Amino acid sequence: MADAVIVVALLLVAASATAAVAARDPVRQALVLSVLGVVLAILFTVLQAPDVALSQLAVGSALTPLLLLLAVHKVRRRGRREGPRR
Amino acid sequence: MNGWILAAAVILAGGVGATVWGVATGPLRRRVVAQNLCTAFACPALLLLSQGYDRPSYVDLALVLALLGPVGTLVFARLLADELADDPPSAWGLTYAAAAVGALVVPAVCVAAGPSRAMAKLLFVGVLLIGGNVVASRALSGGFPEARHG
Amino acid sequence: MTGRTTLLAAAELLAWWAALAALWLVLISTVDPLELAVGAAVAALGALAARAARRAVSAW
Repeated sequence: MADAVIVVALLLVAASATAAVAARDPVRQALVLSVLGVVLAILFTVLQAPDVALSQLAVGSALTPLLLLLAVHKVRRRGRREGPRR
Repeated sequence: MNGWILAAAVILAGGVGATVWGVATGPLRRRVVAQNLCTAFACPALLLLSQGYDRPSYVDLALVLALLGPVGTLVFARLLADELADDPPSAWGLTYAAAAVGALVVPAVCVAAGPSRAMAKLLFVGVLLIGGNVVASRALSGGFPEARHG
Repeated sequence: MTGRTTLLAAAELLAWWAALAALWLVLISTVDPLELAVGAAVAALGALAARAARRAVSAW
């Protein structure tokens, strides 16, 4: 009956992955990806793979949203700079 | 299947489920708070799972999450400072709920671990959890003005 | 550098080292001499870094 927590973790991963795909704006998608990272780490933990979960936490909770947000920041700033000139 | 794993499943289904829904719908300020609370609910769940599976090494996962979760929230608070400035997020109800969950879980696993180095590690994780939560919540409600224009 | 400044610097480094070494002792799983040696070395490096960071920020 430890399967109940595995089912819960799988459902959470399915829900957040669907939400990540359904998010259109990159900023909102970065937020959902951060939550998806944490939920994936929990799934790896309940499947008895703590080392994978550790790597997932290190990458998914802070690094991936940071990369995404920095890219959006740069693109928006460049667009704003080139905008009035056009 | 023992009580610890059941409690972890309840916290995951209720707390983290609510944050998944909150981060997927609603205005930006609700999504940011939901991302913050995801860590605050997942960290006690990991502590309970570590006790339930009888693997003390899983406490390292809770430790890393207690450190990196607030860092993620601070990243969002810094890079979204302009959009959040006119509409400051505040969800003190859920924040207190997450704090209550942490305050219940940490003493429970400490008692189960018994007085030892393991309990000191659990207490350290609890302190990081509270401190990280406070710092992240204050940063979200715009509480670090000298950092906004930095 | 005066004698008092050196003494204060050494005391601060020692305090940082003690705190970091205690943290290391709490966080490791098994205590054996290799772990203690590694912890002492890492805590020493961390103490140097912490003191440098504190002087760079100089907010405290």
